[in-house]
Amino acid sequence: MWKITSGRVNVFPAVGVLVLAGTRKGLFLLRSDESRTSWSLKGPLLPGWEIYHAILDPRDGAVYACANNWVYGGTLQRSNDLGKTWQRAEGLGLPEGSELKLEKTWHVEPGRESEPGSLWLGAAPGLLFRSDDSGTSFEPNLGILEHPTRDRWQPGAGGMCCHSIQLDPADPARLYVGISAAGVFRSDDGGGSWAPANAGTAADFLPDPYPEVGQCVHKVLVHPGRPERLWQQNHCGVYRSDDRGETWERLDGNGLPSDFGFALALDQADPDVAYVVPEEGAENRVTANGRLGVYRTADAGASWELAAAGLPEPAWVAVLREGMAYDDRSVYLGTQSGSVFATAEGGWRELASSLPPVLSVEVGAWP
Amino acid sequence: MAVIVLPALLAEQAGGRRRFETEASSLGQALRALPVADLLFDESGALRPLVNVYVDGEDCRELRRLETPLTGAETVRVVAAVAGG
Repeated sequence: MWKITSGRVNVFPAVGVLVLAGTRKGLFLLRSDESRTSWSLKGPLLPGWEIYHAILDPRDGAVYACANNWVYGGTLQRSNDLGKTWQRAEGLGLPEGSELKLEKTWHVEPGRESEPGSLWLGAAPGLLFRSDDSGTSFEPNLGILEHPTRDRWQPGAGGMCCHSIQLDPADPARLYVGISAAGVFRSDDGGGSWAPANAGTAADFLPDPYPEVGQCVHKVLVHPGRPERLWQQNHCGVYRSDDRGETWERLDGNGLPSDFGFALALDQADPDVAYVVPEEGAENRVTANGRLGVYRTADAGASWELAAAGLPEPAWVAVLREGMAYDDRSVYLGTQSGSVFATAEGGWRELASSLPPVLSVEVGAWP
Repeated sequence: MAVIVLPALLAEQAGGRRRFETEASSLGQALRALPVADLLFDESGALRPLVNVYVDGEDCRELRRLETPLTGAETVRVVAAVAGG
């Protein structure tokens, strides 16, 4: 059986589901069989490390984790045995003579099925790396490192993080990155060169509210079944693009309590469906209206409705930019209060509670 | 031989090994030979600012830093900086 997970095609037989919850205090794995009625919890793995993002590579079942430590810096860790043992990427950093230094690792994205061992890694300050040996070693992407607009990029509250990496499933040469606060960039040549893709997205905090670059993008996703469609949660609004990021349409003000938020999830089967978690605003980063409110659109963002049945209320929590994931059956959500939820029949169900603050959630199929 | 003692988090990253013996003649040479050197030093080769190293109980910054000579009898302790609660 082949299984779709987060827009990625699994190439090994899947017999269960694995949710990877990266936390402030290590990585936790939640496992269930296909019934998804009971979940087992394993962890913390990599204790003492902040796990900004972790994935199960759908090509070979390897687990990768962006593991950061305030003393020892940013790393990328790989496990080929579901977290029993780990190997750290070698020599992760910038070339000698660079004026920049690697600060933190933020997002790891498996490469294409046709390129075994390929891996993309987003990092701060505004860095993208590629590996072709399953994460043993990485090379910085010079198109991003030496981008001619870099002097106009500024760090957001979390640093100048490259947090979104999306591969176009229909075009092997096209990929996107999102960097805070630099904006969205698109490459049509496999990462050799990058063009800003921010037309129509606001940067209300700058003198020019619609600059070429400098937008504070919080999360970008490509729809796996309609790859010309992109969704974006931004510091200044929720957006959709139907032309591969050439132009963006703003989608808030029509049912959302706020234009501010971080997390974003899609629906594999329906490109008109998306989920966001609005927060009060940039100066008060807590879920809006005193509840953990997930909002769903089923009409490509023309309208939004609360989809929070089963989520706690009242609640003043936060869901970070990597805090949502989705597969072919559910949406998953992790909170800074240490809970992990998933949609099930009738609404949301809590899979785990009292974890350390959840920084990221991903889902995959496990053999 | 001098002995280097790692804190628990680094020992885990070194394959579970906490103590290393070294015949290096300087502190920097000894630390750069460790399997966790990339966690002690940034890509420019500088010791990370929150990594403290003590040679027989003395902060290497009060000695000759990474040029501090090792004669073979020292105990080198790597300690993550802590402050506050």
